[in-house]
Amino acid sequence: MYRYDEFDHAFVSARVDQFKDQVERRLAGELTEDQFRPLRLMNGVYLQLHAYMLRVAIPYGTLSSRQMRKLAHIARHYDRGYGHFTTRQNLQYNWPALKDMPKVLDELASVEMHALQTSGNCIRNVTADHFAGAAADEVADPRPYAEILRQWSSMHPEFSYLPRKFKIAVTGAERDRAAIQVHDIGLHLKKNEAGDLGFAVYVGGGQGRTPMVAKKIRDFLPVEDLLTYTTAIMRVYNLNGRRDNKYKARIKILVHETGTEELTRQVETEWQVLKDSDLKLPQQDVDAIDSYFRAPNLPQRPEGWSGLAAARKADHAFATWVDQNVTPHKNPDYGVVTISLKPIGGIPGDATDAQMDLVADIAEKFSQDEIRVSHEQNLVLPHVAIADLRIVYDLLLTDGLATANAGLITDIIACPGLDYCALANARSIPVAQRISERFGQPDRQADIGELKIKISGCINACGHHHVGHIGILGVEKKGEELYQISLGGSGDEICTIGDITGRGFSSEEIVDAVETIVDRYLEIRTDKEETFLAAYRRVGAAPFKDALYSEAANAA
Amino acid sequence: MSDISEKPAGELWGREGFREDLYITATSLDEAGDAPAVILPLAVWLGLEDDVRFATNRRIGVSVAPGENIEPLLGLLDRIPLIALEFPAFNDGRSYSKAEMLKNQRHFKGELRAVGDVLIDQVAYMLRTGFDTLKVSHAVTLERLADHNLHDVPVYYQPGRGSHTAPGTYSWRRVPVA
Ligand code: HEM
Ligand code: SF4
Repeated sequence: MYRYDEFDHAFVSARVDQFKDQVERRLAGELTEDQFRPLRLMNGVYLQLHAYMLRVAIPYGTLSSRQMRKLAHIARHYDRGYGHFTTRQNLQYNWPALKDMPKVLDELASVEMHALQTSGNCIRNVTADHFAGAAADEVADPRPYAEILRQWSSMHPEFSYLPRKFKIAVTGAERDRAAIQVHDIGLHLKKNEAGDLGFAVYVGGGQGRTPMVAKKIRDFLPVEDLLTYTTAIMRVYNLNGRRDNKYKARIKILVHETGTEELTRQVETEWQVLKDSDLKLPQQDVDAIDSYFRAPNLPQRPEGWSGLAAARKADHAFATWVDQNVTPHKNPDYGVVTISLKPIGGIPGDATDAQMDLVADIAEKFSQDEIRVSHEQNLVLPHVAIADLRIVYDLLLTDGLATANAGLITDIIACPGLDYCALANARSIPVAQRISERFGQPDRQADIGELKIKISGCINACGHHHVGHIGILGVEKKGEELYQISLGGSGDEICTIGDITGRGFSSEEIVDAVETIVDRYLEIRTDKEETFLAAYRRVGAAPFKDALYSEAANAA
Repeated sequence: MSDISEKPAGELWGREGFREDLYITATSLDEAGDAPAVILPLAVWLGLEDDVRFATNRRIGVSVAPGENIEPLLGLLDRIPLIALEFPAFNDGRSYSKAEMLKNQRHFKGELRAVGDVLIDQVAYMLRTGFDTLKVSHAVTLERLADHNLHDVPVYYQPGRGSHTAPGTYSWRRVPVA
C-alpha cells in the first residue's frame, strides 16, 4: 500500500490547518454560508437536507486495517455509529457537526487520509478496479498509476476551476470492474505486442442527465506519457468545455459537440508541446511508486483445497457464499472475498462502526492488512487463503456481513435519494430494501443469476441507473414520486446505456414491475447460462415492455 | 462627464509586493490619449498596424477574455510588453491554462497580469501558472497580501513557476522557492 512520506504529511496537515481557520471564521460569523461554501466543498463538506455531510476520499478504494478502524472510530464518536460507502469508493458521514469537522480531519490525517477533492469542479478521487493487485485476470496493478494521478491532481493550479467536476478511473484487466467507460477519462492498463505497459485512453463517458459511453482516443499510450497526455486532455477541456450551462459542462458534451476526431486532434496538438516536458515520467519514479503496491508475500497454503471441499459439503450456506462472493486470485491458494454490504432488506453501502472494526480485524489476520471498497458499494478482502475461508466466513457471519449475494439481484446500488439528498425526486433506499426483500430467498436469487439493479433518486444518476441491467430512476410527476425503468445497461467492458421502457411506476407498483421483468426473463432465457443481460441483448426490449405494460393494463 | 480612460480599480501586486501600475486600460488608442502605457482589448490590439502596435515610444499591452483565443498572439510573444488575462468570475479557470501555455510552455518574457475577480484562495495558483502581477480590488485579499499571507501550501505536486524540484523525491513534485 502507498504510505505517506514527509512531503505528503506536510501537504495534508497544511490543508487541515487552513480549513480549521475557515471553520472557526464561519462559526464566529466572520464568513457567511455563501462565502464558506466553496471553501467547505474543497474539503469534502456538503450541506444535505438535514445536516452537513463529510465525504472522505479512499483513493482507488484501498484501505489498511488501521485506516478502517479510524473510520469506525469517527462513525462512533462524531456520527451516529455508521458510515455510507459510495459508488465512488468514498465514505460519507451523514451527521457530523460542523464544529467537529477540523477534529475529524485531524483524525483522518493521522492515518494518512483526507477529504480533499471529493467535491468541487476539480479532478476528483481517482478510482480503480477493486480487485486490483489480486485478481487472476489482471495484466498489471492499476493502482500505482492511480496514485501518480492522485498526487499530480492534488491542488492542481491549472485544473482547480474546471467547467465541472472531473472523474478518472483506471483498470488493469480486460474485464472492466471499474466502469471506466462512464468516466471523464477511463484508462485501461495493458501490454502491447512488445510486452510494454501502456494505456488505452477513453474520454467523455459519464452518466447524469445525458449519459454517454466514452470514446477511445488512444489505443496505446506509453506509461511515461501518462501525465503529459492527461494534461493535454485536461487543458483542451479547461479551455473549451462549456461554462454557459452547468448541465452541458462535462467533457462528454465537449467530446460530443466537437466530434471525437477533432477533439483527438486538439489533444494530440497540445500534447506535442507537452510530451517532453517535466511531466514525462521517469521509469525510476514509476518503479518507486509501484514498489508500494508490490504483491504481498503470500505463503503457500495448498491444504486449503481439501478442507474447502469438506466444508462446502457440510454447509450449503457456506458453499453458496464461496460460489457467489469469492473470486479467483492470482495465487491459486488464495481467493478474493467480497463482503456484501447488502444484507437482505438493508441499506446498500451502510456499515456500522462495529462492522468496520470487525472487517479491520479480519483483514489484519487473514487478508494481509488490506481492504478494498468497491464501486458496487461492497467491501473486499483481497488476499484470503482458501484455507481460511471458513473461519473468515464464520467471523463475518457474527455481524451480518456474510450475505451471499455478490452480483445477484439483491446486490443493489442505490444513491442516498430523498432520505438524505436535497436534489432528490424520490426515495431510493426504501425501494432497494423492498426489492431485496422480495428476491431475498437464496435459491431464488441463485436461480435468477447475475443481475445488477441500480437505483438513482434523480437524473444526476449517482446510483448509476443508466448502466444497471435493470435501472430505476426516481422522477417527479405532478407531486408524485414515480420510478422509470431502463433495461440492458452495463458498465463493464461492453458498455451500454439502458433503454427506457416507458411510463413510470408508482412506489407501490415498482417492485411488482421488477418482478414482472424478472419472470419474463426466466421464461425466455435459453438456459441458466444465459444471463439477464445476455438475454436482453438477444431479444431486445419488446418482450419486457409487453409484459410490463400489458399486465399493468390488465390489472387496471 | 467623467474620463472613461482611467486606471482599472484596485492595486497592482507582484511577488515582491505592491507596485505602481504604469498602464491604463482603454477600449481604443484614441481613448488612451497620450498615455505612455495602455492595455487594449484583444480585437482592438489585433487591428492595429505593426508600427503602432510595436511603437518604441509607448507600450501597448493586450487584454484577453476567457473565451478569446490566444493563438494569434503566439507568433508575436517576443514583442508584446504585457498580456492581461481576465477572470470575470473566480470560478472561470480558463485563464490559468492560458497562463501556463504562455509562460511555462512558450516562455513569454513580458508581464503576465491577472485582472478581475482575484481572490486570496487563487493567488498561489496564479503565481504558479505564471502570472507576474495581479490587479486586486477585493478588500480581504488586499489585507492578506499586505500581510504576506498567501494561503499557500508548503509543497506542490506539480511543476510550475516559483518552485524548484524537490531533491530525493518524484519528478512531478516541487517546493516553493524560499
Ligand atoms: C448530497 C448528496 C449528493 C449530491 C448533492 C450529489 C450531486 C450530484 C450531481 C449534481 C451529479 C451530476 C453531475 C453531472 O452530471 O455533472 C452527480 C453525479 C454522480 N454522483 Fe452524486 N451527489 C450526491 C451523493 C452521491 C453519492 C452518495 C454517490 C455515491 C454513492 C455519488 C456518486 C455520483 C456518481 C457516480 C455520479 C454520476 C457519474 C457522473 O458524474 O457521470 N453521489 N451527483
Ligand atoms: S442521484 Fe440525485 S437523489 Fe440520488 S444522490 Fe444523486 S443527486 Fe441525490
